[in-house]
Amino acid sequence: MTEVLQARGVAKRFGGIIAVRGVDLAVRDGELLGLFGPNGAGKTTMFNLIAGAILPDAGQVLLHGSDITREPAWRRARLGIARSFQIVRPFRDLSVLENLLAAVPAGGQANDTTSALALLRRVGLETRAHDAAGDLTLGMLKRLEVARALAVGPRLLLLDEPLAGLAGQEATDLLRTVQALKGRMAIVMVEHNVRLALPLCDRAVVMDAGAVLAEGTPEQIRRDPAVIRAYLGSEAA
Amino acid sequence: MSDAMIARAAPRASRRADTLGLVVATIALAGLGIALPALGVSGYVRTLVYYGAFYLALGQAWNIMSGLTGYLSFAHGALAGIGAYGLVIAMNADWPMGASLAAAGGAAVLASLIIGATSLRLRGAAFTFATLFFQELMLLAVRKLPFAGGPGGLVLEQILPEWIAYVGMILLAAVATIGFALLRRSRLGIRVLAIKGDEDAAASIGIAATRLKLVLFCVSALVAGLAGAVHALFTASLYPDVAFSVDLSLIALAVPLIGGVATASGPALGALLYVGLREVLQLFAPSAHLTILGLLLLAVVLFMRDGIGPTLARLLRRAR
Repeated sequence: MTEVLQARGVAKRFGGIIAVRGVDLAVRDGELLGLFGPNGAGKTTMFNLIAGAILPDAGQVLLHGSDITREPAWRRARLGIARSFQIVRPFRDLSVLENLLAAVPAGGQANDTTSALALLRRVGLETRAHDAAGDLTLGMLKRLEVARALAVGPRLLLLDEPLAGLAGQEATDLLRTVQALKGRMAIVMVEHNVRLALPLCDRAVVMDAGAVLAEGTPEQIRRDPAVIRAYLGSEAA
Repeated sequence: MSDAMIARAAPRASRRADTLGLVVATIALAGLGIALPALGVSGYVRTLVYYGAFYLALGQAWNIMSGLTGYLSFAHGALAGIGAYGLVIAMNADWPMGASLAAAGGAAVLASLIIGATSLRLRGAAFTFATLFFQELMLLAVRKLPFAGGPGGLVLEQILPEWIAYVGMILLAAVATIGFALLRRSRLGIRVLAIKGDEDAAASIGIAATRLKLVLFCVSALVAGLAGAVHALFTASLYPDVAFSVDLSLIALAVPLIGGVATASGPALGALLYVGLREVLQLFAPSAHLTILGLLLLAVVLFMRDGIGPTLARLLRRAR
């Protein structure tokens, strides 16, 4: 299976704190990779380093073998890396549809209204297309962010804690949306809720103290003694 | 067509109708304004219409950059001043009027590139401070530059018929208003509003914010520079303290903020209110018109964040 993204020895320091210390990571075409870890493990920093929101102090990030380490976020989006945000960041004054129409797709061809509406249908928001994005509930905004990221036409989709703040039906709806995207593109999902998210993953990486602690299938991760000790604890036991 | 499809199509159709209505109204009003001299209206009314068009053009110039992106400029008066000086220097060097207007617009664009390239990479107040600094720097520089006439200013050597500036300013204001309406509706306009909403989120969907802001600032400076150049044809004499006074920068931002920021019709309402108010105040409080403008602006910002136009439209919709 070809690798969409590779991180090689990526490191990032914030003042005196080493957030990520020389991490190697590979994301394969069509897989859903879960990125887990306790608070402060460095998973969000790693996520932001891949998205280009911050640049690493050392190491390399490769997209389909091309070095994108110093590329800004907007250029990475045009190369096919799209993301959602942990705390939703919709364009509140634009309509739901305009949130998608604003995207500059990776191919360079602007999305037309029909394809943007089709994306909204995929996340169950087509009836809200002309409402102001600021009027949506949190669950809808999370799905809007997924649709907005898809409007880029990504080869790699980065989901930053998509379940944060959601419960019950809203969490189920979002998981269903992610499930439906599986296999169509590579997905990296950072998630705190291991119980709900791990079963969805093809592979998972667990980070702790800025380094990779374990890597493998969901089953291997569940049984890994280091992971159980460091993070899953009684939840996995 | 299903009900759902009709419901989806309706807002787009209504927005298109709004834009079309605005374009038709702008052309009609510009035509009426241009026809006024032939209808025998007094010179006083013509002057009011001229100043309304001047402030509208300047207000739209400010609206293109600051209204859409949220990056506040205090330099639009100075950009108009550069346009004015550019035109007079070029025409006094016997350049044809068209080439002189192009030089005036070009000089303003060049100035905007210098301000923008140094400050638009940064977020927050960097751009606002850069524009304030530029406004003051231009005043000091023009007072010292010998080819700009020093503190005594410059006089346009050619004597031109009054209608050229009158028609020119109305046309510029109309083109800027229609251009703004089309830009606001376009994909580019949506992307710029996305930048205003959240620059990181905009970058995450491929929007090159710095580049786009710089392009908008250049377009905005072009309109401001041309407004200043046409105004130089009208006044025919330039004094640095007037051409680079911060007053004009305040008017450029007050007109859209009062009438309706980031809308095409807002600056028209703002310009109308400002010119009307100024005339009334000339009678009752001749030296206090900027103070009162400031108070009006403060009241609008405090109680009608989007400006008078959008607030009235909202109230009307609610009343229905």
